[in-house]
Amino acid sequence: MRELFHRKLERSALGFVFAIIAAASVGGIVEIAPLFTIDETVEEAPDMRLYTPLELAGRNIYIREGCYACHSQMIRTLRDDVERYGPYSLAVESKYDRPMLWGSKRTGPDLARVGGKYSDFWHVAHLTNPRDVVPQSNMPGYPWLARNALDVDDLGLHLQAQQTLGVPYSDEMVANAARDAMGQASPDSAFADGVSERYGDATQISSFDGVTTQVTEMDALVSYLQILGRLTDAAYRGTVAEEQVPNPNN
Amino acid sequence: MDVEEVDPISGRKTTGHEWNGIKELDTPVPRGVLIFLIVTHLFALLWWVLMPTWPLGTTYTKGVLGTDQWQRVEKDMAHSQAARAPWTTAIETMSFDEIIADENLMAFVRGSGRQLFGDNCAACHGMDARGAANYPDLTDDDWLWGGGPENIAETLRVGINSPHGETRVAQMPAFGRDQMLERAQVRQVALYVRSLSHPETSTADNAEALQAGREVFLANCAACHGEDATGSRDVGAPNLTDDYWVYGGDIQTLVTSIHGGRQGHMPTWDERLSPSEIKTLALYVNDLGVEKP
Amino acid sequence: MAAAGRADPLGVHGLLVLLYSGVLLAVVLSSLFEREPHPERLSRYYDDPIKVGVALTMIWAVFGMFIGVWAAAQLAWPSLNFDTAWASFGRIRPAHTTGVIFGFGGNALIATSFHVVQRTSRARLADQFSPWFVIFGYNLFCLLAVTGYFMGLTQSKEYAEPEWYADLWLVVVWVTYFVLYIRTLARRKEPHIYVANWYYMAFILVVAILHIVNNIALPISLAHAKSYTVWPGVQDAMVQWWYGHNAVAFFLTAGFLAMLYYYLPKRAERPIFSYRLSILSFWGITFFYMWAGSHHLHYTALPHWVQNLGMTFSVMLLVPSWASAGNALLTLNGAWHKVRDDATLRFMFVAAIFYGISTFEGSFLAIRPVNSLSHYTDWTVGHVHAGALGWVAMITFGALYTLVPTLWRRERMYSNVLVEVHFWLALAGTLIYIFAMWNSGVIQGLMWRTYTAQDTLAYSFVDSLVAMYPYYIARTLGGLLFLIGAIVGSYNIWMTARALPLSRSEQDLPVVDDPATAPAE
Repeated sequence: MRELFHRKLERSALGFVFAIIAAASVGGIVEIAPLFTIDETVEEAPDMRLYTPLELAGRNIYIREGCYACHSQMIRTLRDDVERYGPYSLAVESKYDRPMLWGSKRTGPDLARVGGKYSDFWHVAHLTNPRDVVPQSNMPGYPWLARNALDVDDLGLHLQAQQTLGVPYSDEMVANAARDAMGQASPDSAFADGVSERYGDATQISSFDGVTTQVTEMDALVSYLQILGRLTDAAYRGTVAEEQVPNPNN
Repeated sequence: MDVEEVDPISGRKTTGHEWNGIKELDTPVPRGVLIFLIVTHLFALLWWVLMPTWPLGTTYTKGVLGTDQWQRVEKDMAHSQAARAPWTTAIETMSFDEIIADENLMAFVRGSGRQLFGDNCAACHGMDARGAANYPDLTDDDWLWGGGPENIAETLRVGINSPHGETRVAQMPAFGRDQMLERAQVRQVALYVRSLSHPETSTADNAEALQAGREVFLANCAACHGEDATGSRDVGAPNLTDDYWVYGGDIQTLVTSIHGGRQGHMPTWDERLSPSEIKTLALYVNDLGVEKP
Repeated sequence: MAAAGRADPLGVHGLLVLLYSGVLLAVVLSSLFEREPHPERLSRYYDDPIKVGVALTMIWAVFGMFIGVWAAAQLAWPSLNFDTAWASFGRIRPAHTTGVIFGFGGNALIATSFHVVQRTSRARLADQFSPWFVIFGYNLFCLLAVTGYFMGLTQSKEYAEPEWYADLWLVVVWVTYFVLYIRTLARRKEPHIYVANWYYMAFILVVAILHIVNNIALPISLAHAKSYTVWPGVQDAMVQWWYGHNAVAFFLTAGFLAMLYYYLPKRAERPIFSYRLSILSFWGITFFYMWAGSHHLHYTALPHWVQNLGMTFSVMLLVPSWASAGNALLTLNGAWHKVRDDATLRFMFVAAIFYGISTFEGSFLAIRPVNSLSHYTDWTVGHVHAGALGWVAMITFGALYTLVPTLWRRERMYSNVLVEVHFWLALAGTLIYIFAMWNSGVIQGLMWRTYTAQDTLAYSFVDSLVAMYPYYIARTLGGLLFLIGAIVGSYNIWMTARALPLSRSEQDLPVVDDPATAPAE
């Protein structure tokens, strides 16, 4: 009987079109829609903090340079992953990530918890020429990042777009985005205080690339790398992993 | 067009259609395909029953095994920690000397330490721990904060100039940039420091400059590095009379160091590594120095 | 766009669009002065856009594969980016994937679909202008994509990297493509729609759905290229891989199965082995594939239940996949001597084999414990290339070598020896590549999870990286062989179109028996 019906279907182009749409829609609907309705999909983390404008700019540079092509940001629920990189990643840790950067390949190591692991100085040296510090590395160098001034003027627009999409940036944060980006990279400047005021005392304020006279793309990228895994300590709670909860003052 | 014919090679009938010369045979679906289809569906069905699978509005089927990936990895971790426990407990509770004396434990240290070092320390100090420009060699016997596993473990725990509350602090001031010394003085003291480890650079021609450099040194540098320039482990000031250099001992690098200062940074591993891992690493690093002839 | 973008890289793209449209406009305007075409042409198949499509296919093939070899070489010799931003690995990698998937694959699909739908419907393309719009519009999208990556414009969504304005443009092009296709199909003079067209329809429709859902994003302003996706974190992960996996399914599988279903039986001059098997595999593929995307996210922060759904459907998917491969291979029954003698048919035969291998491998890698070893390693890269080189590229070359002589009305390809050379280069390249990646992937995965007798990790990450270098060199060599093959093929196609005499034998006209549309003699 099926065959007879199919013969009929083959005679109608439009019928075929609708049949294809029907058959192909089910999977996506069943797998995607419940991710919004099942509450436990994204864990609770009251201490979850936002990306500062500088970190967000750094994240966009990470995206621009295609870092995700070789580095994952996802520690899987596998013992060797956890023992090498730290507690397995939780969904809530990428709650504000648009898009997510979990990655699909580890030509280089996972970066989900690289924040605070190495010094800013090391990151700058490593990004400028990885083989200066890791002779075995096959990562490209990014010397131009330290030369390029960061475009801070548009950061307000970036925060505004995120706000529209539901990321809880306040209007004050949007209005001060450019200033906060400069303040975070210039500890001695008048702008620095506003950053900790708006984003919390745990925010790392530092002259990331060692040069305070201008805010570069290197500053932004290093500030982003240094925050990876440190937006919330949810992943450290209720696990047998040996790592301690990071001290926010560290 | 709807003419059914028999394909001479397979002996099967065609479906009677033709598209620009292409015909189809009306061969039934081979039984193997159907069996295969049933087998894969049974496998899927079994998995659905056993494991969490189907979404139901605001929840999902949990599966009769009642397990999920989080529980499983926690279990794996607990299991692997238990399997390691005889070693890690021994490392944690025994003194450094006792561990060094125990060949079995040292074999553990060399195995586990190598991986820990590779994944955490090698980024700066290199896989062979011989350091690189700006990062010290850990296989020699020159230690800014004192060698021996106890000191190394402490440095690992608190770091140097790190955000840790008890961090070791070492600041080499920027004598030139902050205008404590004039350019000529920076150059003189660099020549003097160079001559300490390379006496052959001290000649009659530059005796005057060296003498000036020595005076600058005594007035500005001796507080940390000592009058004899052999350094101080309390403040992490290096010995300047030997030929071990973190940043380099040539005149140009010395001038750079004196001009701009140095704030070396060693991260704290207090949170990232467990106490037994820190101890293992300290022993591993110490062991590298011992093996070196 | 050029004006609004100004300082933003969007401005560069605006200028590019202006330039591109300017050149096309000049071509259109200059043709206005040509003589009125003979009305007879309306009773013929409309093949000119297909010829352009074939040429573009080969240009993108050589470009995309060259970038691929270059990227591969950078992994072995990282200084090959010459410290320039645009040439660094992270930027040329999407240029490679877009170049080969959308440039080479997409143009091949559009060109062959125009050919197949006309022949199997015995109808001329439904419109005069829209085929050109589809081809040039689509290539503008590819051009915006690739030049964007070099400038650092990317959404970072794998295989959907272009920014919002390029995505919107593709929607316009794609809707035109769909309307053109369905209108041509509606003109068909065969009562039934042929299997190849089922697959082309599934390809066009589902790619549209996937593209739109995955790319919904909010630009930070209309004057900026940058946008933020509406999907956050874990939901974005699911949407991205639902898209990513089904781009493989409906772009790289359904579309190319359509090619297989036309050109293989045509070349072998054998009927399709089983019509019923075609039905089973078509609906199996269309339904099951859409569930399988979450197997890219095993053991991640994506809820476990979705991962399990993805895994089980991936396993069930194997049956319709193998049914397709089997159907193709059994169609060759009675034509095996041709497979032996004819490199073109051999391309398609090997493609069906690789299709079978890589779909098996895909289902295998989707099983959680296997995935825990293979994921994040080169094994995945090897798997993708078994599909991309062995299946997609081989079937395309087979189809093109069948299509090109028909299209330009030649007796045969310019050189059968060169087809043979191309075949062996492609096969050797593919084998070297996937064996290198299998080795490196398995070694890498094992080194990450090897434990010592005392239950501590045995190797650091750098140890595993050092072990990869020989394989990275081998894969570069494999890719290079494949690239040389594509260059040989391009030369052969060029010479066929340019240097061979016209053949008069073939009557390749839609409906000669219908007096209304028959050529007026």
